[in-house]
Amino acid sequence: MTQDPVILVDQLSKTYQVSEREGGFAAAVRGFFKRQYRDVPAVQQVSFRIAPGEVVGFLGPNGAGKTTTLKMLSGLLHPTAGRAQVLGYTPWQLKPAYLSVMTLVMGQRNRLSWDIPAADSFLLNQAIYRLSDADYQRTLAELDELLDLGPIMRKPVRNLSLGERMKCELAAGLLHRPQVLFLDEPTIGLDITAQARIRAFLQEYNRRTGATILLTSHYMADVTALCERVIIIHQGQLKYDGGLSELSRRIAPFKLIGVALGEAVHMDLSGYGTLVAGEDEADKHFIQVPAADVTAVTARLLADLPIHDITIADPPIEAVIERAFNA
Amino acid sequence: MHVLRLLSVFLKVNVQMSLAYRADTVINLLLNLMWLGWELLSLSIIFNNTATLGGWGPGELIALLGVFRLINTLMAALIWPNTERFNASVRDGSLDYVLLQPVPSLFQVSFARITVWRVWDLGLAVILIVAGVSQSGQTATPLNTVNFLILAGSGAVVIYSLWVVLIALTFWFTKFDNNVTILQALLDTGRYPATVYPAWLRLIITFVVPIALATTVPLQALRGELTAAQVALFVAVAGASLLVALQVWKYGVRRYNGASS
Repeated sequence: MTQDPVILVDQLSKTYQVSEREGGFAAAVRGFFKRQYRDVPAVQQVSFRIAPGEVVGFLGPNGAGKTTTLKMLSGLLHPTAGRAQVLGYTPWQLKPAYLSVMTLVMGQRNRLSWDIPAADSFLLNQAIYRLSDADYQRTLAELDELLDLGPIMRKPVRNLSLGERMKCELAAGLLHRPQVLFLDEPTIGLDITAQARIRAFLQEYNRRTGATILLTSHYMADVTALCERVIIIHQGQLKYDGGLSELSRRIAPFKLIGVALGEAVHMDLSGYGTLVAGEDEADKHFIQVPAADVTAVTARLLADLPIHDITIADPPIEAVIERAFNA
Repeated sequence: MHVLRLLSVFLKVNVQMSLAYRADTVINLLLNLMWLGWELLSLSIIFNNTATLGGWGPGELIALLGVFRLINTLMAALIWPNTERFNASVRDGSLDYVLLQPVPSLFQVSFARITVWRVWDLGLAVILIVAGVSQSGQTATPLNTVNFLILAGSGAVVIYSLWVVLIALTFWFTKFDNNVTILQALLDTGRYPATVYPAWLRLIITFVVPIALATTVPLQALRGELTAAQVALFVAVAGASLLVALQVWKYGVRRYNGASS
């Protein structure tokens, strides 16, 4: 990496002060008069650098510090310690020049007004970012082509489906052609088709504009489709920074086979792989199997047992990360 | 210029939003007329019993009512809707987006919502002021009129600064939805000339929470009761309060952590 990094993070830390009290009425009254605070380290001495045009997946379980880091990089939060530079700017100075070349899109927040069509909110953005009519029209046409906004951006936002709204939110965040995109769970809550569309869009957008993208997601598919590189943080600390393929090698790739057996058959399945606690599906057992053995194990299961249903799935991203660092 | 462009876009968006609610607009117009009638009636009752109120005659009080309504319109057209929006954006975290746009956040927070139909109110207030002044037999000299305009402007700045401080308190207290109710309650004291109130209350509404600055004082200027030094003092007070408010806002934003993800 000889190029100057677009994003440079050096020993970045953030500690929150959180008020806390014990449960119960008396404690609530006491807490009203005297608050007790506790320091919660959300991000601890995280360092990394990202080169122009890279798409990096930023992973970690809930509460790992992903959103906090993104908020510091976009400028919303002041760090407790450490340094960060994005495109040469210190984000939390909130310089207009910086705000004009970056965007933060959060899957769970709305920037569009509910009562009017997205197209009208876009015009507001045009004014806020001082876009010329020509630039605005060109970018909008391009986003329309990629996201198929045509009919949906003329309906009041409150009448849109979640997927449609996310498309409009993304478009609103990208009208000013930012060079750096911070995306916090851009596909959260969307159905599979909508997720795939957003993913394809981001890929194409990155290819066309060369924008640098740092995204968090809970969906492994997002990460495998978009990112060659992942950064993993866990409990506020950087745990891994490198290629995605290397990560799966390091973790020893495995799949989860879910089997539903005939009525109340209690069989010992541990001979087929590691049994793991299932989700909340009754009667279904989950077996963790190395990816290379999936075919063989599935064949054996089908041959040996009275199977009603069988599924093969990637482990959830949390499990991958847990496994990587608790091993 | 960019500011004007933004304001006009904000206005456009707000017209679009209010056109979606026709009944609301009509009802609000009617309510407004009713309130005006009520206020004029209460003034006429007072003057049927006495010739002056705190040294002010009927014409002057009608003009004061006009100024009071001007300020009230400012409240209803800008301050209330933007407060509502601000409080909601703190709760749902969309304030994050406001802070990350290359436009001063306070500008957006102050002007993003404009209750458009209040334009009528504005006209009504001006008519009341003009009618009141002419009825009181006073001929407003050009100098007095300029002073009046300057002081009405700085009065608005004072109320605005107070508002900024009140909503910025949300950054410290998180839940503070009643922030502006206090302001409205105090503003209601501006309905009558500050001189009718007991001295202690007059001090409070002139200097502590300077509502009188926005209503009584401009009218005193119109009556030619103020010296140039006094006018300058009131303008300086407005400038100082704006500076303080901007500082408070800046610290508040720094403190803001965003609704937890």
